[in-house]
Amino acid sequence: MTDTPMNHHEQIDHVVETGVALPFWTVFKREFSAYFRSPVAYGIAFAVLLFLGVLFNGYITYANQSQQTPADSTYAPGLLVFLLFLIAPLLTMRLIAEESREGTLEVLMTLPMHEGQFILGKFLAAWGYFTVLLLLTVVYHLILLTIGVPDLGAAFGSYLGAWLYGGAVIAITMIWSAVTEDQIVAAFLGAATILVLYLAEIAASWVASQGAVGGIADFIRELGLQAHFGVTLSRGILRLEDVLYFVFMIVAALFITTRIVEIRRWRA
Amino acid sequence: MIEVQNLVKKYGEVTAVKGITFSAEPGQVTGFLGPNGAGKTTTMRILTGFMPPTAGTARVAGYDVFDKSLEVRRRVGYLAESVPLYRDMTARDYLMYIGEIRGIKRPRPRADEVLERVGLASRAGSRIRTLSKGMRQRVGLAQALIHNPPVLILDEPTIGLDPLQVLELRQLVSDLGRDHTVLFSTHILSEAEQVCDKVVIINRGEIIAAGNPNDLRASLERGARVLVRADAPAGALRELVAGVKGVQSAEIGMNGVVATPASADRDPRSEIVQAVVQKNWKLTEIRPLAINLEDIFLEVTRRQAQDADAPQSAEAEAGS
Repeated sequence: MTDTPMNHHEQIDHVVETGVALPFWTVFKREFSAYFRSPVAYGIAFAVLLFLGVLFNGYITYANQSQQTPADSTYAPGLLVFLLFLIAPLLTMRLIAEESREGTLEVLMTLPMHEGQFILGKFLAAWGYFTVLLLLTVVYHLILLTIGVPDLGAAFGSYLGAWLYGGAVIAITMIWSAVTEDQIVAAFLGAATILVLYLAEIAASWVASQGAVGGIADFIRELGLQAHFGVTLSRGILRLEDVLYFVFMIVAALFITTRIVEIRRWRA
Repeated sequence: MIEVQNLVKKYGEVTAVKGITFSAEPGQVTGFLGPNGAGKTTTMRILTGFMPPTAGTARVAGYDVFDKSLEVRRRVGYLAESVPLYRDMTARDYLMYIGEIRGIKRPRPRADEVLERVGLASRAGSRIRTLSKGMRQRVGLAQALIHNPPVLILDEPTIGLDPLQVLELRQLVSDLGRDHTVLFSTHILSEAEQVCDKVVIINRGEIIAAGNPNDLRASLERGARVLVRADAPAGALRELVAGVKGVQSAEIGMNGVVATPASADRDPRSEIVQAVVQKNWKLTEIRPLAINLEDIFLEVTRRQAQDADAPQSAEAEAGS
């Protein structure tokens, strides 16, 4: 503390002009740019693109040889959606856990901002990063356009679906980052939750095969993620109920996260 | 500016704050004093709107901390005990971030202004992780000042600083106290005495004394034990002092004879001086043992312990 002495105070104690604050936007800007400063985010992008690239290469080689497989633009977003059970926890694990462990949450929660704004900003940042990742895979669609005639409706549906799907999965995994201060635990629990929701369809068929009342199996299927993507959006079938399902999942998960942060703060 | 009434905070079974009442006025530094775990941080967290009280009320700048939490937060600058900061950000970026969340229109010049104020202008562009402990403390303080709040709540701001840094920070807090309401917690009692216009002493969730440090000292000097030193054999001096009217007992201590007054509102010093002078001994020192807040604190807690568990503890303390 020896560089310069602390100065006298008259010069700074003037009225500080304030305007309309948009805390969620401020939080979003910081978190979103943080992804592009962190090696983890580049690592995820690299791994995903490499994985998709290799599989896509094999796919079009095969499609070329067989002369029968249509150019399918839903291939890349479909794969990305599957990979989300790994990607989303990595993107969200630190969002709240780190702030909570470092104590920076305490400062934020004494600022004139509702928890919801803070959670929303964090969520949008992670979703924004995922959006960038998804847009990068548009390159596969462009390649398909040069070598075939892909179904544009299916392409649009699957990209929109993957985007909403990503939002829901990111919002859900973020809950765990609010529950525990341990990022690794948050990531594991997040991955497990998403796998369960991904595999709900299998669980539903099993329940149905056990002779349970039809309604239960249907309910489990509808609760799962794939029922709203795999057979509808990813084939270009745009159903309002699927879009509403993802929007509902996002809103519900953000609400739960907000409540958890609030409750943890009250007990701190 | 800060009014706390019968504030209670329970964590499950544990009651951290047991119905405290105090206030802090504008233009003053109020010291919140007590050992670690006394309930200082809990109280401050309630005052900043970070968590709600279990019972009782607290008003800051005229707003209830629970019902009008956001209004309170707009008017309070808070430096948390652990000084949590984003280590990957530069000092300026961090302050701009906080300023923007607070809705400050031109966060950048304001960030530079407060950095200047805390003497960190030259390190504005340094990442926080590269700053020393003292500098981080100042970034934390700058964060609390960014919106020029009428109320400042500083939780142990001098902890972990080197002596020069401590002096600078105390000076800054004193300066700020002139036109802000400052609530400043510390467990270093001499610090509160130097910086504060008023102290509130808290122990185990209860306020055990409050007031102007000088008044507190004066009231405690009455009835406080008195240290007497003179050019005379210790044994003879002890006997003389013990015989003085108004003295209950006298023991030989480390630096002289310690006299315990007969009652709590009694100051036997003039009688002792007279007795020593009559003997023609040279009196070299006579003073109450409680001369700073440290002693006040010990005295108050000693009296509490005395009230609680009979005369034993008083014996054990005597002659220290």
